[in-house]
Amino acid sequence: MRNLLGLFLVLAILVVIPSVDHVFAQADEPAKYIDRRVLIWNLFFKLMTVAFTVGAVVSGTLIWIVWRFRETHPQAKPTEYEKSDTWGGPA
Amino acid sequence: MGHHSNWPEWLYVGVIIALMVWVGAEAWNVERLVEHVPADAEVIIVTAQQWFWSFEHEDGTKEIGTLHVEAGKAYKFEIISKDVNHSFNIHDYVVLMDAVPGRVNTVWFAPDKAGEHDIQCREYCGLLHYNMRGKLIVEEPSR
Repeated sequence: MRNLLGLFLVLAILVVIPSVDHVFAQADEPAKYIDRRVLIWNLFFKLMTVAFTVGAVVSGTLIWIVWRFRETHPQAKPTEYEKSDTWGGPA
Repeated sequence: MGHHSNWPEWLYVGVIIALMVWVGAEAWNVERLVEHVPADAEVIIVTAQQWFWSFEHEDGTKEIGTLHVEAGKAYKFEIISKDVNHSFNIHDYVVLMDAVPGRVNTVWFAPDKAGEHDIQCREYCGLLHYNMRGKLIVEEPSR
């Protein structure tokens, strides 16, 4: 639990607080004309970067799990059921 | 199951929460900037009807189909419709707002340099929707 708190603290310091700070700091600047094209494209780019990064991590993890825990993997360990060759019903 | 570490799962959850906060903060900020109409923006009333656009400037000047503005100035469009739903779009400046009968929708923009741009309807509004176009002419600043 302490480790977990530590982890969230580190993440908060690294990401959450700077993000919130960044947003509120901009609110103090005088609102001059913005370029919608630039703002919207930048936001799109950031969202896509996050989406594709998370997507790559998730699909990469899934692919690795399927590859590593397949039956024919050299280091595969059979489960209790596979060892006893009883698949739920009477032997 | 014996002892196994939950550490990677929690790390993953933490990273995802952090990313979502970051993305949410950025999106909220962009939304805020885009919706903040500058105080000195000139109001242009945009009227949509099948199947053309008409514009009325603050000084009463009216235009049909073609809108003249100046570079370097901010404009706030007050968009209304006389018949069915339309959508006012200046693609080159990422301006897009629905024109809905009985409502006044607003959107603003500030053209940065002189040029010609297309205006078009982006909500299917009947037979000639495809041809409900207009021209935005951005002129050099007058002063």
